[in-house]
Amino acid sequence: MLWYKSWLETRWRFIIGMALVLCSAAGTVITYPHIQQLIALTPTMDFSGPLGKEIREGIELARTFRGFVWSNWYHQNLPHLATLFAILLGTAGLLSESRGALFTLSLPVSRNRLLGVRAAAGLGELFVLTFVPSFLIPLFAPAIGESYSITSVIVHGLCAFIAASVFFAFALWLSTIWSDLWRPLLVALGVALVSPLAGFSKVISGETWFRSGQLPWGGLLASAAISAVLYSLAARNLTRRDF
Amino acid sequence: MLFRINPSSGVPIYLQLMEQVKHAIETGALQTGDQLPGIRPLSEEMVMNPNTVAKAYRELAHEGVIELRHGAGAFVAANARADRVADKLRAAQPLVAGTVDKLRARGLSEEEIRRLFEAELAAPRKGGRRA
Amino acid sequence: MHEPMAELIVETSELRKSYDGVEALRGLDLQLPAGSICGFLGKNGAGKTTTIKILLGLAHPTSGVARVFGSAIDASARQRIGFVSEEKDLYGYMTVDDMIRFTAAFFPRWRADLQQRYVRKFDLPLMRKVKELSRGTRTKLALLLAFCRGAELLIFDEPTSGLDPAMANDVLQAIIGHVANEAMTVFFSSHQIAEVDQIADRVVIIDRGRSIVAGTLDDLREKFCRIEIVFGGEAPAVTFRAPGVLRTKRMGRVISVFSNAGADDIAAEASALGAVSVDVMPVTLKEIFLESVSEEE
Repeated sequence: MLWYKSWLETRWRFIIGMALVLCSAAGTVITYPHIQQLIALTPTMDFSGPLGKEIREGIELARTFRGFVWSNWYHQNLPHLATLFAILLGTAGLLSESRGALFTLSLPVSRNRLLGVRAAAGLGELFVLTFVPSFLIPLFAPAIGESYSITSVIVHGLCAFIAASVFFAFALWLSTIWSDLWRPLLVALGVALVSPLAGFSKVISGETWFRSGQLPWGGLLASAAISAVLYSLAARNLTRRDF
Repeated sequence: MLFRINPSSGVPIYLQLMEQVKHAIETGALQTGDQLPGIRPLSEEMVMNPNTVAKAYRELAHEGVIELRHGAGAFVAANARADRVADKLRAAQPLVAGTVDKLRARGLSEEEIRRLFEAELAAPRKGGRRA
Repeated sequence: MHEPMAELIVETSELRKSYDGVEALRGLDLQLPAGSICGFLGKNGAGKTTTIKILLGLAHPTSGVARVFGSAIDASARQRIGFVSEEKDLYGYMTVDDMIRFTAAFFPRWRADLQQRYVRKFDLPLMRKVKELSRGTRTKLALLLAFCRGAELLIFDEPTSGLDPAMANDVLQAIIGHVANEAMTVFFSSHQIAEVDQIADRVVIIDRGRSIVAGTLDDLREKFCRIEIVFGGEAPAVTFRAPGVLRTKRMGRVISVFSNAGADDIAAEASALGAVSVDVMPVTLKEIFLESVSEEE
């Protein structure tokens, strides 16, 4: 029944997130032919400076469908959406329940179990959100005369999920410190904005897989380790807290 | 239902219930052999602690007003009314003694006191209030 | 036949709790035997809700011991406790039926028979969302959820607060009705002394984080009394040496003594001082409360 309750409390975030990610994934395929036409117009333009370098690289990548999917979807749209919804799902919970917290806590369930179910339910939703919609890409690609490797979808999906779930754990931990809705949300979003500086974007986008077929083992292990630490900190906060 | 209690009156609730039962017997609402309500249903109806009802019943049984028949319930005892009258007389006696003492203290003779009582009882009821 | 000592369902010893440097509980000692209905009285801020939260594991004591069913307070202890919070905490987004099915899932000893009875008796609208219910109906739902779980201890934090007198009576009646038919211990905090008088057989009065009066109502009525002592002339300015004197008031020829240890010793002292009359009067629970708790902080 705790699972059902978690679902009731997070279903709208999940549903809206799914809708956005599905549309965005489909959009990646649908817009590709259009992008190709635009690229055909650019070879004569000159780009200089660091921004110019980035734009040129983007264009180079977009010449192939595989490159475009990576630069547009796995490097940009999916990480943004996944991180955002990881944070939104992580902040939905026990302490932000203005009513009902006392009732939940007076049930014959340990606080660890309450947190565990909430975390597991949220992670499950996050997994579906980050992993499943990307399958639309190999599904729709033939319609525009392209194809995309299922293996890549799986690998990129796992990288995105594992990396994004660090933010889920982070948001969860913050929500055991502050019982209002906004502080955990804003702090987590703030940290997410500066996270590319720590090499986070390489892990979440599976860049090493894209470029050289290597899984980012180091990054994935670090993500898992950080998540584990955050979960245990959250559990400790919750166990100690007075309501 | 027959019984009412006032939780704020200061009189212990079990005593109030005992008075109510005795009054019901007095007025004939409860007659010899009638069964009193069970402790649980009565406590629920009157919103009273069941132990308090039980205590009231026990005291009433001790005074001989009711009988507790094991397994069957509480019933109004045969001589309850007579005992009730005896109780009333016993309770009234100190009142009378006190009044007589006071009148003596004012210097009235016994003959005068007796005449005052008789005149009072013979006079028409004032206000029609039931004793 | 030897009667076994009544099991202590709730027991606290030197219980202390501080929040941000404020001491809410300052060494609370509590003993609640099985089968009693205990009213927990105290002014606002005296520590009633804090105590209740600790008994449920919602808050942790700073020091001291709190035991329920003879052991520490954890998830398995809560299996045997039914609780209704002051605000009748429930999930607003669930329907009444959802709440019942949700709660029932946690209690293997859930009483479906009582559930049916109470849904009918309380006239609960099964398909309505909890947030749409009136406070009275929400209270009744909260009671049902507490009654049906097969608990042996019920804890209520101000069960009739915010309810009109008719609804408050319904709630008290529901509690008595349930308790009369099941073996149960009840611990409830209240502001309404009349309702404690009505349904409780034990009382604990808490003041500034400590228990200052505790015992059965019968005990309290025996021990607490007011003694009016009249003297022939001006009443002497005397301090009674007898134990239990809580308050002494001198007004002209009369000394009024409030005692919590019976009247005999004080009456004897008064006679020795030459009192003309000594009247012992019973006191109400309200008077006991007012005379026992402190005045302004």
